[in-house]
Formats: sequence, structure tokens, C-alpha cells
Amino acid sequence: MATTTRPGAMSDDMGLMPQNRTVRTVVVSGVLAAIQLALGFTGIGFIPLPTGVNATILHIPAILAGVMEGPIAGAAVGFIFGLFSFLRATTPLFQNPIIAFGPRILIGVVAFLVYRALRPLNEVVALLAAGVLGTLTNTALVLGLAVLLTGPNGAPYLPADVAWTVAGTNGIPEAIVGGIITLAVGLAVRGAGRARKSTV
Amino acid sequence: MDEFEFSRSVTVGQYVPGTSFIHRMDARAKILAFMIIIAAVITTPSYIGNAIAFAAVLALVRLSGLPIGYLISGIRPILPILVVYTIFNFLFLGNYDPTGSAVLFRTPVSLGPWQFAFTVTDNSMRQTVQGVFRIFDLILLGSLLTLTTPITALSKAIEGLLAPFRRLKVPGHEIAMIIAIAYRFMPTVAEELERLMKAQASRGADFGRPGRLQFIQRTRQLVPVTVPLFVSAFRRAEDLIVAMESRCYVGGAGRSAVALDRFTSLEWIALAVSLVFTIALSRTPFPL
Repeated sequence: MATTTRPGAMSDDMGLMPQNRTVRTVVVSGVLAAIQLALGFTGIGFIPLPTGVNATILHIPAILAGVMEGPIAGAAVGFIFGLFSFLRATTPLFQNPIIAFGPRILIGVVAFLVYRALRPLNEVVALLAAGVLGTLTNTALVLGLAVLLTGPNGAPYLPADVAWTVAGTNGIPEAIVGGIITLAVGLAVRGAGRARKSTV
Repeated sequence: MDEFEFSRSVTVGQYVPGTSFIHRMDARAKILAFMIIIAAVITTPSYIGNAIAFAAVLALVRLSGLPIGYLISGIRPILPILVVYTIFNFLFLGNYDPTGSAVLFRTPVSLGPWQFAFTVTDNSMRQTVQGVFRIFDLILLGSLLTLTTPITALSKAIEGLLAPFRRLKVPGHEIAMIIAIAYRFMPTVAEELERLMKAQASRGADFGRPGRLQFIQRTRQLVPVTVPLFVSAFRRAEDLIVAMESRCYVGGAGRSAVALDRFTSLEWIALAVSLVFTIALSRTPFPL
């Protein structure tokens, strides 16, 4: 990864300490993946909707990894999201590894690209758009694959009209929450990063 | 204050020492064998096949010497979701059955302006039952792997298994390190989450499980908890980066191991048995 394209260079602001890119990527991905797993295992990360399908905020760590640390970290955290949803799949849908992993790996990558493209314009807009589009990547690809791929019994996992309904009932609230949390955390971390780098 | 007890549901996945052969097996072989069995679990389409796979998973749990209740307790937080989902699937999945399988049961329901039907077809019944079997299979297998393997062995094994892909620029060491850090920090994050929710509750936030209809309220509760959670995690990450760099951590490049583990007959037998089991399961035409 080239130095100039890295968005989350909190410690480079002052240029005091040359930091190893790999260490930074690995640590941030690991800690964000830990949040994701903790939200998942405790059930806090799921929002029960009246439709019976749950909205989730588990993709938000992947978005933040992409925005703060770049596409590799975003893909790594997304991969762990995929692993989690594959191993605890409550639906035949996520018991298919292609649907569990593929879209999730791309969440952070899309969030990174959107953020990088819009940042010169406006930081707030860039964070918000990265959160919303990162979430929509997940929704669109999971539902798209659910309609395209054939399930274990020879039929697609979801018919197209059901997929559109889920996109409306789950995708829209998830995108809003994703945008809000990405924006709030992005601004807070940026601020905190400048004030204080480490407590050690 | 029961609703704040998060640490318990997170520590369930952590290593429990033991002496069974599953504990003693080389972690690389264990991961491979589990992946082979997972392939069997997710591909078998018949009722009998699913029951046999489930029995095999239960046998593995029994052989590990771990209490099954302890393994299952990890599923508790998602149990309500699972139950609701299964009921929905059972009643409605048959409405969208393009395979044209036999309809077992159908009742039209009219609820004010809404007209819909409960339909159960041969195919939808099969999917629902399989879904439940698979969830239990996968959760038991996943917990069994993490409960019988210390995290150091697990991350070393992941690194070892990814080593052949180094040529394709797959960063095996880094992936293993990410998983090790995530696993190590999970309880810390859960504790932090508990603390933040208690802090909010003491200021009047109500976290008592709101019903399905109050989803907006539930979403609004999440924001003041998750935002500080992420911010403190980023701070923790900064600390860890400084700690690792000051100890001259440079990743996996040029690093070698003190002990070179080779597969013994135990590992080869376990791999062979799981492979034979998977092939046999996929090749046998079960009547149901």
C-alpha cells in the first residue's frame, strides 16, 4: 500500500515515529474484529425487526477498518464477519460459504474507496457516504447472490420480490445506522488521535 | 442486572484444558478435519444424512470430554432469534417454493387488510429441519475447535496451513495474528461493553429487552454505546502498536519456530476418518 493513499494516518500527523504499516494494519484489524465478535456473541449487534429478520450492525467494524486503515484491514475484518456468520448461520443462506464470505470481504474495500474519493470534498460527507455505501454493499451483494445462486434444494435461496422486501426493511435501517455510527466514530477517533496517541 | 452479563457469553469460546485425543491433536490437522466434517454437514441433503452428521458431531463432543451444556451455552444469546426464525421459516417458506414439491399443509389466513397463507411443502420442511441441524452442528464444531485448542496453537496452525500460499502473496502470519488479537481482545471488549451499558443505564437508559416493535428505540440505544466502544478500541489499538513496535515486532518475515511439529499417526488417522465419513455421507443415497 502506498503511503499517500492511507487515510487513517493518525500517528503520521506529527511524523514523530516511523510506524510499520503491517503492524498498524494487523493490530487495528484485530481489535475491530474483536468488537465485531463481541457484538455478535452477546447478541447486542442484532436489532430485532418486526418482520422477523434481524437487522445487524456487525458490518460496521469492517467499514471502519476500511475507512481508518485501508482496504486490506477492511477486507480482513470483513473476512472475520463472514467466518462468524458462516459458523453461526441461522439460515441456509449463510450456510453457503460464497454468500457468507464474498460480500463481507468487499464491505471494507468499498467503504475505503468511497471514503478516499470523497475526502477531498468534505470529511463529514465522506464518512457518511462510506458508512452508507459500505452497508449497502453488504445488503446488495448478499441479496443479489441469494437470488442468483441455487440453494441446497435446487431453488434460489430467495425469490426476487422477497429480496426486494428485505432490502427495504433491513437494508435501509442498516444503512442509516451504519452511516451515523461511522460518522460519529470517524470524527471522534480523528479528534482523539490528534490529542493523544497512546497512553503507554 | 442479568442483562449486563456479557463476559460469560464471550468466555464460552475460550480454551478449556483437557487430555482427550481431540485436545492432543495437532491443531493444523484438527482444523483440516473440522473443515472436512463441515463440508459433510453443509452438503448432505437428506434427513437421515443430517441426523447421522449430527450424531457424529455429538460423538466428537463426547470424545472431547467437555460437557455438552457448556458448548451449547454459547448459543443462548441468539436462541430467541433462532426460534422466531425457525417458526417463520416453517410457516412461510412453503409460499415461495419454486421446486413444485408436494404441499403438506396449507391454511389461508386473513388478518384485516392482509391476506396470506401458512404453507408447508416437502421442500420447505426439509430446509427448515436441515437449517436447525446445521446450526447446531456448526456451533458445536466451532466451539469444540476453540475449546480444545489454545489460541497460540490455533494461530500457529492457521499460519502453518496458509504457508503454502505465501507464494501467492497470502499473508498467513498476519492473518493468524489478526485472529489471535481478535480472540484475545474479545473478552476485554465485552467487559468494556458491559461497563458502557451500565454507565448509560445509571443515567437513565433503559436496556430491558424492548420488543420487536420498538426497533427504533433499540437502534437509538446502540449509538451511545457503540461509539465510545469503537473510540476506546482505537485507543487500545494505538497502545498495542506502540507496545509491539517497541519490542521490534516486524511480522512473520524470517521468523522460525523452536519446535517443528510433524503429523503422527493420530493426525493421519483423524484426517482419513473424517474424509471417509464425508465421502461416504455424500455418496450414500438415503431414502429420506
